[in-house]
Amino acid sequence: MIIENTLPIMLSRLDFAFITSMHILWTPVTIGMSWLLFFLEVAWLRSGNEKWYRLQRFFEKLFIVNFGAGVATGVTMEMAFGILYGPFSQAVGPFFGNILGFETITAFMYEAGFIGLMIFGWGKIGKGMHAFATFNVALSSSLSAMWILVANGWMQSPRGVVLKDGLFQVTNWWNAIFNPNFDIGFPHMWIATLELSLFFFAAVSAWFILKNRNADLFTTLLKPTLLALVVITPLQIFLGDELGREVAADQPTSLAAMEGHYHTYLPNGKFNTGWHIIAIPNSKNDGNVFAITIPHVLSLLETHTLNGKVTGLDHFAYKDRPDVWVPFYAFRAMVAIGFFLFFMALWGNWLRLQGQLNAAGLRRHPWFLRLLVLSGFLPYLAVWTGWWTREIGRQPWVVYGLMRTWQGVSHMGVTAESAWFIGYITFELMVWGGAWYFFSRIIQKGPDLTSPVIGSAPSENAGGGLAQASFAKPTFGKPTLEKNR
Amino acid sequence: MDHIDQILRIHSALSTFWWILLGLFFVIYIVLDGADLGAGVFSLLLKNENDRAAIMASMAGTWDANETWLVVAGGVIFGAFPLVYGSTFNYLMIPLMFALWGIISRAVAFEFHVHAKGSRKFWGLMFGLGSLIAAFFAGIALGATLLGFPMSTKNAQGITSSADPFANTVPHFSGNALSFLSPFSIWTGIGAVIAGGLAGTLYLCARFKQEDPIYQKAHAWATGFSYLALLAVVITLVWSYAIMPDAAKWTGSGWFGWLVLLLAILFSAYKMMTAHAAHRDFPALLWCGLIVVLMWGGMWATNYPYIVPQTWTIDAGGNPANDLAILTLFMTGFVPVMIMYNAYQLWVFRHRITHLAGYESH
Ligand code: HDD
Ligand code: HEM
Ligand code: HEM
Repeated sequence: MIIENTLPIMLSRLDFAFITSMHILWTPVTIGMSWLLFFLEVAWLRSGNEKWYRLQRFFEKLFIVNFGAGVATGVTMEMAFGILYGPFSQAVGPFFGNILGFETITAFMYEAGFIGLMIFGWGKIGKGMHAFATFNVALSSSLSAMWILVANGWMQSPRGVVLKDGLFQVTNWWNAIFNPNFDIGFPHMWIATLELSLFFFAAVSAWFILKNRNADLFTTLLKPTLLALVVITPLQIFLGDELGREVAADQPTSLAAMEGHYHTYLPNGKFNTGWHIIAIPNSKNDGNVFAITIPHVLSLLETHTLNGKVTGLDHFAYKDRPDVWVPFYAFRAMVAIGFFLFFMALWGNWLRLQGQLNAAGLRRHPWFLRLLVLSGFLPYLAVWTGWWTREIGRQPWVVYGLMRTWQGVSHMGVTAESAWFIGYITFELMVWGGAWYFFSRIIQKGPDLTSPVIGSAPSENAGGGLAQASFAKPTFGKPTLEKNR
Repeated sequence: MDHIDQILRIHSALSTFWWILLGLFFVIYIVLDGADLGAGVFSLLLKNENDRAAIMASMAGTWDANETWLVVAGGVIFGAFPLVYGSTFNYLMIPLMFALWGIISRAVAFEFHVHAKGSRKFWGLMFGLGSLIAAFFAGIALGATLLGFPMSTKNAQGITSSADPFANTVPHFSGNALSFLSPFSIWTGIGAVIAGGLAGTLYLCARFKQEDPIYQKAHAWATGFSYLALLAVVITLVWSYAIMPDAAKWTGSGWFGWLVLLLAILFSAYKMMTAHAAHRDFPALLWCGLIVVLMWGGMWATNYPYIVPQTWTIDAGGNPANDLAILTLFMTGFVPVMIMYNAYQLWVFRHRITHLAGYESH
């Protein structure tokens, strides 16, 4: 315990936690929204209805601001392993390095090869090629999430390696890649990106409807969005529960910390099945000072039986126990958000059944719209708290059960680590502030409903190859769009 | 014993293969993003904000892909040479940190500049300064790597514990945060800015219409940069020969090959300068690229069998043989594909533009 928390080690944990937390702010939108943009584009191409095009171009502007921030923070991540966690990178290199190598080649480079075409290729490449570029951006960014969860999942439930000469050498690639945590962690993360992006759509739409700007256009978007959410939100809860059971099986210390579960047995010798709504762990980390507890729920959640055994922290030496505060409360925040978002999806679809899902009807329910705007922010919080639970719950291990965090930290002093920390706080907060400022500018400005649909008037100065794209269905000029500003 | 020998041979062949690919990725990165960074440095010389915007517009569709080659090179070091990755990046912490800040500023400036009103000047400056800082510190990192660094197999945090399976196995970086700093590494930083300036101005010449004011300014500066670059190359070669043990090869038994290489570089430089003077901009850019490729290849060959001179040999830094085999099996096929679609993207955005592009926003 004493070894684990020297100042340089604590600092490099904080440094890494900060930069990952900043990176994960951007990537879910890249992953989830690229699919949604692709669907909008397909809807436009198939129906010929200009409003899908307008929506696509509007959200694409937000997408690209987000993308820049994602790349900026992502490049940092790649360097950070080697800088902050040099010995870790070396030891896990044979597996982890390969996976990140796979990721850069099959995902980052793949994505980068198409993102320019997607954003700046309008009117320079054919419409089919453009939709293809959007599709590739979507596929490649999902691949990126997959590989990184392979890597992180393996840190949670390492399989298929032996430790030899200080290196984790892979004996079974299949088991190492499809490790049990990945199998369920990746779907959970991937669905989170869709959930987040759908709520992003919903929140922006709700804002416009509240302001009574382009209300019809955004109600059109809200309908399919809410329909998708009523499937996605419960699915995410289900996947989260599955993931919790996985953690219970593979990382009992992490699960016990998430649940503030100290005692496997009750004083009367029976299994302790109580689930805490609130708990205040004591300073020795061997019990709760105070807790509000419901019996049986913990066993129900983790074993799906009334009285199943859930291992508590008292089964593990003090030096193998993670901190309880963060996993416990972060986990509860995520779960609460998961259920709240499910509720919002139900509410929206209930309004639809009532025939209220039109601009006029929705304005009669301003609280629904306001809460929908709020719901745009909540998935971000859920993603953060989810990762904090996961990463802090794994402590004091960096590779669960095999390598302790202190064994992986680089040769760096407090000054160097502090310089890094202060520098990145400044820079990445600047990125964050800038991105949010420009998000709000773009949203304030609203969708562009007047400039001709791309393909009809090639730009003089844009400098591209096939200046004349062949857009089959000239849809501009159709009286489908209102402009009620 | 025979088996072990065979495995060692396979290991050596595979790690050398990845060492060559790594060199390839780095040089692609330097040729492509070097021009982008250099154009950013050049943009600091422009007064009109819209001219700067035009420069940014000229690479809007391609900068991310160009920069990603650096990420690919990083990924390949991690994937094929994790021991090198985990120690060298630790050693290079400060230069990489600054280079990253440069890259971050530049990346966000690209997206924010077009949307900005009041802060347009600020983001324009971030674009230019970010490019300058990234080029300078990347150059420092390169020079520092060429000099090598100290390592030890003790726990990197200096913690000794009786049951630490990682102690006394893999060597970690053991110097301090300022070990990278030396006159040579600072000089290579300056050299990188000069080289970037040349590539960037040549690139702008190829991207802007010849009657455009930006073209004319870039053209004049490119001429200046080319003389500076020539001087910088001579200084770097002499200096490297004086301090780097591996450079002794140049005058060793293989001197003839090195002489041919030098002549090829001089010939390309001559062709580049004449093409530039004759306003054949695209050939000039290509000759410049060729010089970079030749010099980088020369450097890579000079370092052989080291990947980090006097510190990590290719064999010692590589992954165990079976892991390298997996990487080779699964990834090699992607390399030509990757090059192909990147080439397509560069092709789509190949046409010349004017300074007016800076007035467009989306
Ligand atoms: C591929 C691996 C990987 C991935 C995808 C993530 N992390 Fe992580 N994280 C690590 C690999 C890692 C690590 C290198 O293994 C750290 C550093 C120290 C440690 O114990 O684990 C870590 C630590 C760490 C900590 C500090 C825990 C502690 O030391 O007490 C936090 C709060 C996070 N991470 C948060 C995140 C967030 C918000 C992520 C979302 C992107 C994330 N991590 C993804
Ligand atoms: C901690 C480990 C991580 C590392 C080392 C890492 C590394 C990187 C790097 C280097 C980039 C920039 C690529 C480019 O230049 O285009 C990037 C971008 C990206 N990352 Fe990460 N990342 C990590 C975590 C994650 C996670 C957890 C996710 C999502 C689940 C994710 C998803 C993405 C996506 C989709 C992109 C590309 C889109 C964008 O930049 O917005 N990454 N990452
Ligand atoms: C009731 C709903 C939910 C439950 C029961 C749940 C459960 C879990 C569990 C058990 C973990 C793993 C913690 C660990 O490994 O220590 C986790 C992680 C995570 N959760 Fe959730 N979650 C829920 C909702 C959400 C929502 C709504 C989001 C985002 C929109 C989200 C995003 C994440 C992320 C990003 C992680 C880390 C990545 C991962 O483990 O795959 N979760 N969640």
